[in-house]
Amino acid sequence: MRFNYQVIVNIIGLLLMLNGVFMLLCIPFSMHFGEGDLMAINWSGLITICVGAILWFATKDHSNKELKKKDGYLIVTLGWVSMSCFGALPYILSGAIPNFTDAFFETISGYTTTGASILTDIESVHKGILFWRSLTQWIGGMGIIVLAVAILPILGIGGMQLFVAESPGISPDKLQPRIKETAKRLWLIYVMLTGIETVLLWAGGMTFFDALNHGLTTMSTGGFSTKNASAAHFSPFIQYVMILFMFLAGTNFTMTYFGLHGQFKKVIRNEEFRFYLGTCVLLTAVTTFAIYLASGTGFEQSFRNGLFQVVSVVTTTGFVSADYTQWSSFITLLFFIMLFIGASAGSTSGGVKIVRHVILLKNSILELKRQLHPSAIIPVRFNKTAVPKDITFNILAFIMIYISIFSIGSIVMASMGVDLETAMGSVATSLGNVGPGIGSVGPVDNFAHLPTPGKWFLSFLMLLGRLELFTVLMLLTPYFWRKL
Amino acid sequence: MRIIIAGAGDVGFHLAKLLAIEEHDINIIDLDSSKLQYISNHLDVNTIKGSSTSYKILEEAKVSKSDLLIAVTESESTNISTAIIGKNLGAKKTIARISNTEFLHKKDILNLKSIGIDELISPESLAAKEIKKLLKETALTDTFEFEKGILSLVGVTIDEDSELLNQSLADTAYLNPDRNFNTVAILRGNETIIPHGANKFMLNDHAYFITQPDGLERVMNLSGKIRTPVKNLMILGGSKIGVKTAMQLSSKYKIKLIEQDKEKCFELADQLQDTLIINGDGRDVELLQEEGIADMDAFIAVTGNSETNIITSLVAKNHNVKKTIALVENIDYIHLSQNIGVDTMINKKLIAASFIFRHIRKGEVLNLISIHGVDGELVEFEVKPNSKILDVEIKDLNFPKSAIIGGVIRNNQGITVRGNFRFQEKDRVVVLSKPECIRTVEGFFK
Repeated sequence: MRFNYQVIVNIIGLLLMLNGVFMLLCIPFSMHFGEGDLMAINWSGLITICVGAILWFATKDHSNKELKKKDGYLIVTLGWVSMSCFGALPYILSGAIPNFTDAFFETISGYTTTGASILTDIESVHKGILFWRSLTQWIGGMGIIVLAVAILPILGIGGMQLFVAESPGISPDKLQPRIKETAKRLWLIYVMLTGIETVLLWAGGMTFFDALNHGLTTMSTGGFSTKNASAAHFSPFIQYVMILFMFLAGTNFTMTYFGLHGQFKKVIRNEEFRFYLGTCVLLTAVTTFAIYLASGTGFEQSFRNGLFQVVSVVTTTGFVSADYTQWSSFITLLFFIMLFIGASAGSTSGGVKIVRHVILLKNSILELKRQLHPSAIIPVRFNKTAVPKDITFNILAFIMIYISIFSIGSIVMASMGVDLETAMGSVATSLGNVGPGIGSVGPVDNFAHLPTPGKWFLSFLMLLGRLELFTVLMLLTPYFWRKL
Repeated sequence: MRIIIAGAGDVGFHLAKLLAIEEHDINIIDLDSSKLQYISNHLDVNTIKGSSTSYKILEEAKVSKSDLLIAVTESESTNISTAIIGKNLGAKKTIARISNTEFLHKKDILNLKSIGIDELISPESLAAKEIKKLLKETALTDTFEFEKGILSLVGVTIDEDSELLNQSLADTAYLNPDRNFNTVAILRGNETIIPHGANKFMLNDHAYFITQPDGLERVMNLSGKIRTPVKNLMILGGSKIGVKTAMQLSSKYKIKLIEQDKEKCFELADQLQDTLIINGDGRDVELLQEEGIADMDAFIAVTGNSETNIITSLVAKNHNVKKTIALVENIDYIHLSQNIGVDTMINKKLIAASFIFRHIRKGEVLNLISIHGVDGELVEFEVKPNSKILDVEIKDLNFPKSAIIGGVIRNNQGITVRGNFRFQEKDRVVVLSKPECIRTVEGFFK
């Protein structure tokens, strides 16, 4: 099979143009604060739009409109990589991050909603650039392809292929028969929640600029802050608001949609939601208790710190209200393991996702029963329906690959002279799109000191994690490129 | 529109494809999850696994909010029950596919509307009708008449004798001095070309023209075809379509029908008194020769096996039968067999899907016809009082390239239009458009 290169280039051109338009959205902040980053933003936006327009225009008259599955995977991966290259322009041109490796790392960490930063002093960065940094997370959270499907008319039938390749989880739920309508509703909920959070944060005492930035990075489960101290800089009320919205961002948007339509029963009965809620409650109880014992802070503060960190890490957001590595090695280990959980499928979070854990866990337990009754047919049930075998196999493969990449990745990082904790922490946090790790990349540290090849490697892992392994890994297999 | 399609077979798939391009909200219900998987990979529709007669499944498809429920599964009784249940649950309109045509003929006595079935569709009788129409003009591969023939669409195959061969449209303008026909489409292999001046006619192209009545003769002369009326006709296969065709045509033509099954032959002989029923295997060339295939004017292969139909049609073609029609169930074979020489393919699923599609679009457009094998629809619009094409010359319209205006019916007279034509109110315009720009074309006439 041959790739439909014309359509691939055409759509990537379109994505770049869309990206360029987003860059221009930083202009108002840049002008308001007047710190001299205006030209850098203007130029970045114009260059991105022009390159996108050239690609789009050159392939405008593509005769073959058909989009095969393979084309879809290629578009999504190439689209994300090219977006990250152009997304680094504002950092480079403004001089905020002059080094291309660092700028690319910061951008891809934004788009993949990881939130790992190489900036040592965030507050000294110009406001226009800071806004762009938050915006990259917001774009990447729901996904630019989902946005393109929602607002651009061109992606009719092929849209489904792209949608599947980009959206997190096992298979996306369709809220409406047509993919375009589904994408529109998802984005609508996303924009709405971001708006509400911004208003609440603003009312809670943040400046409008900080409120908007944190709104963008919370709903996308990104975790970039505008303050060096991250969430610890703000009042308890603000921290509670952020906890609530981190939790919502980690909820399947389909459930939020049902909730908004008053169908609470459907939400409560959803097995993944119950496990998600249960996981958060259980982990919070354990950490609160452990923090209370280890640190000697008051109960409210221990609870708030525990809850905030647990929700922040489970939803893969990565905001920090306190350094979880400072209390005890028990808590540090607990948080390290949490890096692998991930929130719900169909949310903006990264990681493995609750649904995969639950199905696999159930399958493993049922395996004991199957040993006792060799001839019995015992399917795994999820949401009261039997899970087809091929989905179980798919999840098994996913987790196996995930663990392999983590192991090999840690070895690769360690081979570059990084210490053990840092190597494991940085790989787990990048692959899970969380942000903070352990060791020297802990919650209050940053990634600036890592070696250059290490930064490139982690950038690759972030993309792998955001596109859920298969989309990117598929491109590395010979089957993908073979004609037969 | 919210549409539910029960049955993800060929009819359901083709219908969903036609409708999805038009941006309707479509739910497809079927029991077979692999079929649904295929559909959701290829079309932008929602799929639901389950039985279409189940309350729960129909609720999941939001039947109470749906505008149309189309039941096109293989089973007649499932279709009927689905339609009835769906109607009672609030579907605005229901269409059920049937195979027993008694339902169709005794529609009023059975009073199907009162129990919830608004419309019936029988692919077999539609196919028989199509065959009857094609036999009227043997030289043509396809034909459709607007307003009793004051304007008609005809399709011909370009062969070696044609004057048009290897000429471009612009070059052949002199062959059309009275300007009484227009080329609207060329089907080459799998590709449908909406022709413009520079496009050439190649060997074995299927060319489609819109002609005024006086242009028909000319089109046929140009394509190298001779009009011969059909007298003798051979039908292969005593299937429902075969029987129906024989029944409808026996008064006009001399018919021989070949059927393999002896007992069935006996029944057929009883049923079709004017038709000569022959018991034998149609793949036996000697039998065909013995039964005088060389003297036949037309050969219609409608057995249940597509391969048999295609091969025997080729045998007939070899014996100089002027018109061969083959029933082909496998949609992928259609292009292929047209290219190797079978005159016309009939696919009852495509016919059924286009019929329903036409039904849905009723009201918005006057007429909508699918042409076999052509990736496009022939649509008839009426020019409304405030539409934007009024008093503009066609050449200044900026009409989409994937669509072409074939002709206009004005005051009960067919006109094959040129670039300097200006539309008036109440003109009825025949347009051939590829599926992707039907909406755009519609915009011109609103």
